[in-house]
Amino acid sequence: MARMKFLCDADRCIECNACVTACKNENDVPWGINRRRVVTVNDGKPGERSVSMACMHCTDAPCAAVCPVDCFYTTADAVVLHSKDLCIGCGYCFYACPFGAPQYPRVGNFGSRGKMDKCTFCAAGPEQDSPEIEYQKYGANRLAEGKLPLCAEMCSTKSLLAGDGEIIAEIYKERVTQRGYGSGAWGWRTAYRETVGV
Amino acid sequence: MQDKQQAALSRRNFLRAFGGASTAAVATVALTPTEALAYGPGQEEMRARYQETDHIKAYYRVNRYPEHK
Repeated sequence: MARMKFLCDADRCIECNACVTACKNENDVPWGINRRRVVTVNDGKPGERSVSMACMHCTDAPCAAVCPVDCFYTTADAVVLHSKDLCIGCGYCFYACPFGAPQYPRVGNFGSRGKMDKCTFCAAGPEQDSPEIEYQKYGANRLAEGKLPLCAEMCSTKSLLAGDGEIIAEIYKERVTQRGYGSGAWGWRTAYRETVGV
Repeated sequence: MQDKQQAALSRRNFLRAFGGASTAAVATVALTPTEALAYGPGQEEMRARYQETDHIKAYYRVNRYPEHK
């Protein structure tokens, strides 16, 4: 059985944020919520790297472990989903998640946050038989349409990989073997090889 | 005088009886064991949605390096 995974090839990510925009557009994500975001380390310095982050659909998901109403479930293809009908917006999953994936639509009095929202790997939610309600609550169900998450499909530098974990790991391994240690994507030598002194 | 006393007693009895009955009703509801409503996703929700279509195969192909011929 294929296990769905995201893998961001940080050597290729150019921090264009197109994955973030595509996700918001495809899933009609409301203001204040980003299911995906691009994190940049060493910004503006040599060695700068950007990584596109969202829910990583953990095998033993910590969000599911701490949820007091047990609203999370993992599908047969290893996508971690949740039921917004059960979620009480307590925020435990936000503190448990190492990637900061769970998001909340509002900040209200007495700490009310609204129902948690997160990346669904474009697999929507439990309402499989009512697509309109499902779309309003969770967004698109591209996986059921035989497609992959839009963020990965439209990545211009092919940095963000999604799909069967074994296949995308193989693709990444092939890239690393081809380009060697580091990408060489920094500096003039990328274009001019060793012919230019820096 | 006697009638007045009886009327007063019956009013009190009524309130006592009513109060007792409502307390008993609340206690009955609170103590009746109900089935826990934990979320149990069904087979339909847990089923795999992924299918390796031509669209997805094309995605994998373009993410690889082109094959040298």
